[in-house]
Parts: sequence; structure tokens; C-alpha cells
Amino acid sequence: MKVVIAGGSNEAEFIVGMFSKGNNEVIVINPNAPVVDRIGKRKKIAVYHGEPWRKYCLEEANAFDADVFVSLCPIDTDNYASCIMAKTCFNAKKCICLVSDPLNVDLYKKLGIETVISSPYTLGKIIEEAANVENIVRTISLENDQIKVLEALVLSNYNVCNKTLREIRFPKYCSVAAVFRSPTVLIPNGDTMIEAKDTLLIICAPGDEEKVRSFVQKPADKKVTTVKKSVRGTSKPKKAVPAKETKTTKAKKK
Amino acid sequence: MRNLTFVIGCGRLGGAIANYSSAQGDSVIVIDPNPNCSDNLTEVFSGNLLHFDASDVEGLEEAGIENAKEVIITSGDDNLNLFLAHLCSRIYDVPYVYVRFDDPDKGLLCQGASIKAIYPFQLSKDRLNLLRAGVAEGGEE
Repeated sequence: MKVVIAGGSNEAEFIVGMFSKGNNEVIVINPNAPVVDRIGKRKKIAVYHGEPWRKYCLEEANAFDADVFVSLCPIDTDNYASCIMAKTCFNAKKCICLVSDPLNVDLYKKLGIETVISSPYTLGKIIEEAANVENIVRTISLENDQIKVLEALVLSNYNVCNKTLREIRFPKYCSVAAVFRSPTVLIPNGDTMIEAKDTLLIICAPGDEEKVRSFVQKPADKKVTTVKKSVRGTSKPKKAVPAKETKTTKAKKK
Repeated sequence: MRNLTFVIGCGRLGGAIANYSSAQGDSVIVIDPNPNCSDNLTEVFSGNLLHFDASDVEGLEEAGIENAKEVIITSGDDNLNLFLAHLCSRIYDVPYVYVRFDDPDKGLLCQGASIKAIYPFQLSKDRLNLLRAGVAEGGEE
């Protein structure tokens, strides 16, 4: 893998250390002379001294066709310009851009940089995900937020509990990819029975998480009250105790 | 309605452009974080001068960038200029974006967009060639 590391100081040194071990070609470009000296001496690697947003610098450092281009400069717009230059003129396959202003994350993504990282933004996301654990549903994003994977723990008072997938009829906008029933993982089909304490891995599009969450967490009693007769008539009601969602129940941790 | 002219960066070039556009009757908004930059504006200027860093997108929105009919970017930082040009053209759909670059290679990154780039380097070189060839007169134009 060809990795270009542009700018940065300690973080650049750390990443150089990570990638220089394996079968990688690492190119380091840094505008700061003391950092160039330090990384060069400690990591025993050629470091190109120059500004990574300049075309001639990237040319001289031979930054063509990088698999990953990482820009770690302290100023957001410098990172933006470096990544756009690497993408447009140097055929970089994937650019990673560090920003200090969290508002720039979505903006830079819209302008064409695949991965934009900001420490406060990441911190906020982690807090958000931790808060979701409380709600028994954890969300994971894949492919740049294009796919959402929900991890939902089934409680005994849920409507989906003790039914087969065929009976539950999950809505079209989501799909149950796997059922984790300690210690095994089931790849479900229509006959798979969902039991209490199962963890469902559900795939959906971004924006549908809330709908999926409320579908899974719908308590069983709701259905009993709305379509009382049919439910009582066709399938035996399980624990039709009007229990509310118990958000305090411990979530299963990975 | 798109009726505003934004001038980002109020140095000698930005100030002169703001004065000229204002004198032509445009509604001009000048953005520069430097509090002393008003020295570059003359009495013909009748628009708004706002002091903040133009990389602050919320500030630009408050200033009304969605209503810009043209944006002229003249700050001294090429990378900031590049970002602002892309931002105005692709996110806010400003129909005319003019941007100054010291580094002529930056033009490669603005192709196919509604962005027109100006390179003082290139202009000086062309002018020198004209003067050398005796086609143009020296001195003030």
C-alpha cells in the first residue's frame, strides 16, 4: 500500500511508525523543518521538506497514485487544498483530512473528500453512540454513513419476542442480517424464532434508524390493545402485561 | 434574490474592487478579519464591512451568501481562497466566483466550475512580454 502523510507533527510520526513496518511505501511531506529532521532521524526514512498543497512538492516527493493520502496540517483549509490537489492531480484513491472545526466535517465531505476527521466531532459521535446503548440500540455507520447497522437487544416485553421472522414481517426498509444468541450467531430465515435476550443486527438506510428502533422496541401489549381479538384468536398472547419499555435494562455489551 | 456582491479580503486589491463596485451601484459586502482594513476603502464605498474570518461558514451565511450574485475572493491565503471558491460555487451555487491565486497550479483544481481564476504572477509575466515586444506602453494605464 502506498501511503502519503502530509503535514502534522507527533501524529505524523506515530502514523509513520505504524505503516513503515509492513509492506507499505510511506512518503512523508512536511512543511516544518524541525519535524522533518525529527521524523527522518527517529524513523530512518526520507522525509520531503515542502508544502503538501503545492503541486511541485507532491511531484518531487513522488506522491502519485497513493492508496491513502493523509493530511494532518494544523490549518483546515491547508488540509483541504492538499487533499483536493492529491485527488485531482495525483490520482489519490482515498484522502483523509484532519480538521479542527467540527462544522467542516460535513462541508468537506460534500465537497468531495471521503474521510474527514475532527476530534470534537468524533468525541460527540462516541457520546451519541454511548447514549444509544442506554436505549438498547446501538448504531454503527458503514460506507461513509450510507449504511446503518443497528444492534438491538430484544426484551421479553417486545412485540417481536417469541415470534418467527415470518410472523413479525419486518418492514421493507430494513433487513435482519444476523441474530446473536450467546454463544452462537444465527443467519436468520423466515422460520427463525426471535427470543428474549437475542441481539438483532439490522441493516437499514440512514434516516430509517428511528423507525426501525421503534418497530423493534414496540411493546407487545400495544398490539394486543389495538387488534385485541385477532391477536388473541390466532396466536396465544404471551405475557400481556402492560409493561412499559424498560430503558434501564442493561444493554448487552460487545 | 441574488443581488449582493461579496468581496472577501480587503487588502489593496479587495479594497479597490469594493470601491469600484460600490461606485457602480452594486450592494457590496466586504469581509476581512483585520480591523484596520477599512483604510483601503474610500468615501465612495457605501456597502457593509464585516470583520470576521471568511472560513467561518456560519458567519458567511449570516452575511447572506445565499443571495450573492458574485463573489470576489482576494485574500492572501491561496488555500483559503480555493476552499471559499469551491464553497461558494458548489454549496451556495453562486453564479460568478472570481478568485485570486498566487500559485498558478491552483487553477487545475477549479476547472469545470463557475469559478474564474486570476493570477497576478501570470498577468505580470504577460505584461512584461508585451512591454518587451514593444506592443504596450509602460507606466499607468
